[in-house]
Amino acid sequence: MPNLMDANWALLTPEIVLVSFAILILIFDFMTGIKGHKPTLGMLSIFALLVTIVLVARGDGMSYIDHTFVVDSFAILFKVVILLGVTLVILLSMNYLNRHDDIYQGEYYYLLLFAAAGAMLMVSSLDLVTLYVGLEILSISSYCLAGFRKTNVKSNEAALKYVILGGVASAFILFGMSYVYGLTGTTNLLSIATQLPEVYQAYSYLVIMALLFMIVGFGFKISIVPFHMWAPDVYEGAPTPITAFLTVVSKVAGFAIFLRILTVGFGSMFAHWNYYIAAIAAATMIVGNVVALRQRNIKRLMAYSGIAQAGYLLVPIGAALSWNVTLSQILFYSVAYLFMTLGAFAVITLVTENDSSEDISAFAGLHRRSPVLAFSMTVFLISLAGLPLTAGFFGKFYIFIGVMTGQMYWLAAIMAVTSIISFYYYFGIIREMYMRDTDKRSILLPSTLSITIAICLVGTIGLGVFPNILTNFLINVEWIMF
Amino acid sequence: MIPNMLSWLIFFPLVGLIAVLLVPKNNHNLIRTIAVVTTIVTLILSFMIWDAFDNQFNGIQLAESYQWIDIGFVQFNYEVGIDGLSMPMILLTTIVTLLAVVASFGINVRVKEYFAWLLVLQTGMTGVFAALDMFLFFLFFELTLIPMFFLIGIWGGKEREYASFKFLVYTGLGSIVMLLSFFAIFYVGAAATNFAEVTFNMIRLGEILANPLNPDAATMGMKSAIFIAIFVAFAVKLPIFPFHTWLPDAHVQAPTPASMILAGILLKMGAYGLLRIGFGILPDAAANFATLMAILGVINILYGALLALVQKDLKKLIAYSSISHMGIVLIGAASFTPEGMQGAIFQMVSHGFISALLFFMVGAIYERTHTRMLADLGGLSKTMPILAGFMLAATMASVGLPGLSGFVSELLAFMGIFAASSEIIPAARTIAAIGALGIIFTAAYLLWAIQRTTFGHIRDEFKNLPDARTVEYIPMIALFGLSLLIGVYPNILSDMINTAVVDLVSRIGG
Repeated sequence: MPNLMDANWALLTPEIVLVSFAILILIFDFMTGIKGHKPTLGMLSIFALLVTIVLVARGDGMSYIDHTFVVDSFAILFKVVILLGVTLVILLSMNYLNRHDDIYQGEYYYLLLFAAAGAMLMVSSLDLVTLYVGLEILSISSYCLAGFRKTNVKSNEAALKYVILGGVASAFILFGMSYVYGLTGTTNLLSIATQLPEVYQAYSYLVIMALLFMIVGFGFKISIVPFHMWAPDVYEGAPTPITAFLTVVSKVAGFAIFLRILTVGFGSMFAHWNYYIAAIAAATMIVGNVVALRQRNIKRLMAYSGIAQAGYLLVPIGAALSWNVTLSQILFYSVAYLFMTLGAFAVITLVTENDSSEDISAFAGLHRRSPVLAFSMTVFLISLAGLPLTAGFFGKFYIFIGVMTGQMYWLAAIMAVTSIISFYYYFGIIREMYMRDTDKRSILLPSTLSITIAICLVGTIGLGVFPNILTNFLINVEWIMF
Repeated sequence: MIPNMLSWLIFFPLVGLIAVLLVPKNNHNLIRTIAVVTTIVTLILSFMIWDAFDNQFNGIQLAESYQWIDIGFVQFNYEVGIDGLSMPMILLTTIVTLLAVVASFGINVRVKEYFAWLLVLQTGMTGVFAALDMFLFFLFFELTLIPMFFLIGIWGGKEREYASFKFLVYTGLGSIVMLLSFFAIFYVGAAATNFAEVTFNMIRLGEILANPLNPDAATMGMKSAIFIAIFVAFAVKLPIFPFHTWLPDAHVQAPTPASMILAGILLKMGAYGLLRIGFGILPDAAANFATLMAILGVINILYGALLALVQKDLKKLIAYSSISHMGIVLIGAASFTPEGMQGAIFQMVSHGFISALLFFMVGAIYERTHTRMLADLGGLSKTMPILAGFMLAATMASVGLPGLSGFVSELLAFMGIFAASSEIIPAARTIAAIGALGIIFTAAYLLWAIQRTTFGHIRDEFKNLPDARTVEYIPMIALFGLSLLIGVYPNILSDMINTAVVDLVSRIGG
């Protein structure tokens, strides 16, 4: 047993810095009284996140603390995505917070930072225990954030649903982990990986059971079919920027850790589980896209769209390819997903707040109320639908070419057909914006939101036209250390 | 000669687009001027390309190639170039787009957005005809989807939203099948070289897969399956029965200039793709399906014509006549004879001009009478002799009157199918004979339609309608003139395409 003090704690610098900032904000918040507008704290959190991003990006990509906490390229890249996501979420929240006095701003910011720290811990951990701790930090912060509009019944309901179902999901994960521990006598993913093939010979059903329990639990967290039922309700009730946070940051972090367990822990027995994942991916794409067709509430629609997108993200895990390719595909799509979804949510936040309506008819005539908003939303929706010259297109195409190369044609076909189905609801919003009219007055764009939208636009179009910026980098990445 | 002339041609409309976006949205005249200037420049560029184009050279000319995206196991490159197959299509695109822009002067709502979309559309269309990389081809193909969706959905007729969504979903489904088949070709091509050469370049893939001497090339069953997928993908766009149902809706609802582009150019993207990728890369598989394609072509001719015969709406009638005329492209190509292939390409070009003219005429008439119902029209030659005259001329061209382009293309296509080798199409003559019946139907519905619109009794409220405006003369004279030019001097086109046609036909040893 190595001495704890010998460990290279410097590797935790980004996490420590982020948490210190969060605690600093917490203290400031108490000192200045809990109510009132606190744009400085918002700016401070953005600063904290940017500093952390820089610190994370400086990591060398091959260090670890006793095979428990690793800083490999996988962790670094996903941390950057997560931190970028939280930064954009905070940017797009600032205007929203000022409109709602029932939200305590200080708490809001530091909870987001803690959530980010939890997510960072998660993607770096190589041990089931650290992993679970990270997951719970993220989850508990998210439960609080979902119910942040204290006087709003829907928001309360959302939080309650989320906490109960999230708790059940955590229980499933723990239960699955306990099986793994029982079978292998260790919580370390590397030791698990070396022992599993042997254990599988003797207790194949138990191993599969353990994996399935974990799939159920993580399935809840990343809202894939059939564990997605909570998502639309929670997304609808939660404050809109938090909906954006849940759809993007929570989901990407959940994906990252799910990937870590599957690639490192269960990677050696890929052939035994990839069909479960492929089947779930197929079901997720079909249900998400089909049910989205009937949604009139924009947040519910985006929830189902998010479910469908999670299906696309699952596809490469189910398809048989080298892990480097799989991870590159998922990372590319995560980045694309981050930009297009957060961009769309920035527009949604503004439009729904302006009209106090979450029906998609709130978008009617947007091209006249604000041409910039309508154009940006169109780009984001086209990207989500997967049409060319957007990040979403290339991301989907990249996954698609992988599935085709892995010769899982049926999965590719489902992916393709459901993408076409998605045209219908994404273009339904475009139809409202450009083909329906309204006499409502024009919308002014607050500066923080315009920054968010600008960043997302640049990301969505930039990665669509020049995907090589990211792909050239990704093909040279040595993803996982071990 | 300017370097990178093709790229200039493809992307110049985007320069115009930026200029349009910078203009205040109420300055309609400036926006229109920019659009016209942009399309005139592209027209000049396309003539310069034509000038630099060597008719005798067999292969790709003016090629440009840049590395673009590398994802490790495969690269996508920006590769463009033209041969005898793409040259006429590029000229068709620049000419029809310019005329469509001129025809768009009547658009008064949301002018800025309108011309912006039109220019994006032009980039997409030109790109399709110039792309050599299948990924790039797909990108440009999809790029035409969004502008057309908006053009129909915002500036269209009463049922515009329905029509635009139908167009979106049908074309989208076609694109997906296309993407799947491209991957299949890519994979088969890579396998044929034992993964020594992994490429998306359609010319290289053609050399690899169409080469009968390559022992590693894919099995016939595989190739046939891929060809069916490609055929279906492009059949949606062409359109071929039973994938045609989006077309009448889209054409009827679209604003006049969009109809002109849709019928004049977008349909040709389907035909071009079928020839370039389906026939060019998998010629032997294509030859296996020649009979089926010829029969489908005949069905298209007759089905389109019979449906046109019963239409009450003039624009719908012309839309169905488009379906009928696209059948001629299919039978010509399916014959695998040089004449037939030439006929197919002639028909693509000729129909491009004639259908654009017909849709323009219908638009001009509708603008004045506010009806397209044949029952309500009549006697227009009395109040607007010029418009009625051009309507008659366009109809004659469409019927295939000798001296006009329609005649040449139909003649060549049918000559081709009559001469088709019995190994490729067993009952070629019977099929051709049945198909030729379509010509009679075409004459019937078009002449009947023209009789009911321009001649006969005129309604009182139409008596004081104005005749053609000056600006309307431009598209009318240009389009009719081009049809006449090809009709009396077909060499202008056949010289351009001959080398490519011979090459395409020789791939199956015919």
